[in-house]
Amino acid sequence: MNPLTRKLIAREFFMHRWMIGGSVLAGLAGLALVARGGLMNFNIGFLFWLTTIVAFGVVVAMFGIATERKERVVNWVLSLPVAHGTYVRIKVFALLLCYSVVWLVLSAAAIGLILALPDLPDGMLPYAVLLSAFLLGNYAFVVSSALHLRSEGGMTLVVVVHNIAITLFMFAIAAIDGISHFMRGPVATWNSAFWTVLVIEFAVFLFLMALPFLIAARRRDFI
Amino acid sequence: MTTTKHIEMRNVRKGFRFFTLEDLSLDLEAGQIMGFVGPNGAGKSTTIRLLTGLLAPDAGEVRVLGHPMPEAQAAAKQDIGYVADEMRLFPNATVGWHLRFVASIYPGWDESYARTLLKRFNLRAEQTVKGMSSGEQMKAVLLLALSRRPRLLILDEPTANFDPVARHEVLSEFTDVLRDESRSILFSSHNTLDVERISDRIAFIDRGRLIDCRDKEDFLECWRRIQLQVPSGATLPEIPDVVSRVIDGQFVTLTTNRFSGETLSRLGDSVREVHRMSLEEIFVANVMHHREACG
Repeated sequence: MNPLTRKLIAREFFMHRWMIGGSVLAGLAGLALVARGGLMNFNIGFLFWLTTIVAFGVVVAMFGIATERKERVVNWVLSLPVAHGTYVRIKVFALLLCYSVVWLVLSAAAIGLILALPDLPDGMLPYAVLLSAFLLGNYAFVVSSALHLRSEGGMTLVVVVHNIAITLFMFAIAAIDGISHFMRGPVATWNSAFWTVLVIEFAVFLFLMALPFLIAARRRDFI
Repeated sequence: MTTTKHIEMRNVRKGFRFFTLEDLSLDLEAGQIMGFVGPNGAGKSTTIRLLTGLLAPDAGEVRVLGHPMPEAQAAAKQDIGYVADEMRLFPNATVGWHLRFVASIYPGWDESYARTLLKRFNLRAEQTVKGMSSGEQMKAVLLLALSRRPRLLILDEPTANFDPVARHEVLSEFTDVLRDESRSILFSSHNTLDVERISDRIAFIDRGRLIDCRDKEDFLECWRRIQLQVPSGATLPEIPDVVSRVIDGQFVTLTTNRFSGETLSRLGDSVREVHRMSLEEIFVANVMHHREACG
């Protein structure tokens, strides 16, 4: 990694630092509400936690890629000694790094909360892990799309699909017997159903992260 | 010893759905300022994007500072200062942040020159980019490019958003760059006054084709508008290289692109006035002639 690449990645992190900090605090506030106990607090707190992770992912991808392109900042960045392929690598890596901070802290905090609270059955752990992994893959979908879609309409559609996908995933995963059956149990069950879904999620995530590089390698015109 | 041309384009073609840049060949030597002039949509920005590696040619060869483009664009851009009218800096960062950022990338960064330009362009390091006018933003982009001391400056309509004073300041800086003869500038504009002021070589482009490219002085010496008075019934002698002929009763205005003493002697006593043409007049006449010739 050359110094310019490092600087551009650091710049991305620097530009989003307040949003990263704010999102971590907002997500933790949601989890704090869950920790107070009660169904209402659980529902509101969980929704707050989920919305924070999802919204941060969309906003950081839109600001970091789509807005930068719309406001022609990318034209200036590409006047620096950086090739398109490198620019794509920088964006993917830097935005993944920004998202990872929020995602890791909030996912780890949610898992810690399930382990710590006696009211929350440990059987929920596989579900929480799968949901967190899905959020990471869903973020990769938004980043990958933002890097290649030029139209605002297209990006709006991506965000809509991204949001609907979370609800669909939660329903779908709850319908898998091997997972839903153990959700309210006192111990976490890491069975084959869990591992199968996790492997699929991981494969989709890797594919979506690799897609920008594959497209950039074939692309002849950048602007 | 052979010197590397700063720009070499050979038979370049780039096609889009509604526009094609066709068979473009262009050279720029060290120490030259080339004005690249064309109407809107002529292909100026496409040419510049090919030179900066943002577009890849469908056919032909593009080399900048000896580097093949777009393959070696990262290496070439170490020595290119590229500024386009449409470029914007990071809106939430200050001018000072951009100065430090670019200074940390380029070993040749000239800090004292950057400070001088900051004053001359009336910019402040603590200004946030989003609070600046488009003209100020363009000055900041130019400052960042000039202070790197690049060997080649590629400028795409850089003065479009400037008032006359700012335009004067910036054009003076461009000519200062050429005090070092190892540097060169490609300056694209449809403002022929700017181009005439600073360029020593001029290329005209229209509808995706290069229609003429030579030294500025050649253009100014070879193009003339000649007013004649021809008595009724008399016929004009055949003059080669007349690009336009306007007849108004006895008065005829000829525009030629190969003016010489011989032209005048052929026309004889009918000549009333001979006008030197401005670059703008030459440009318009050249484009119209090219369009008529192409149908």
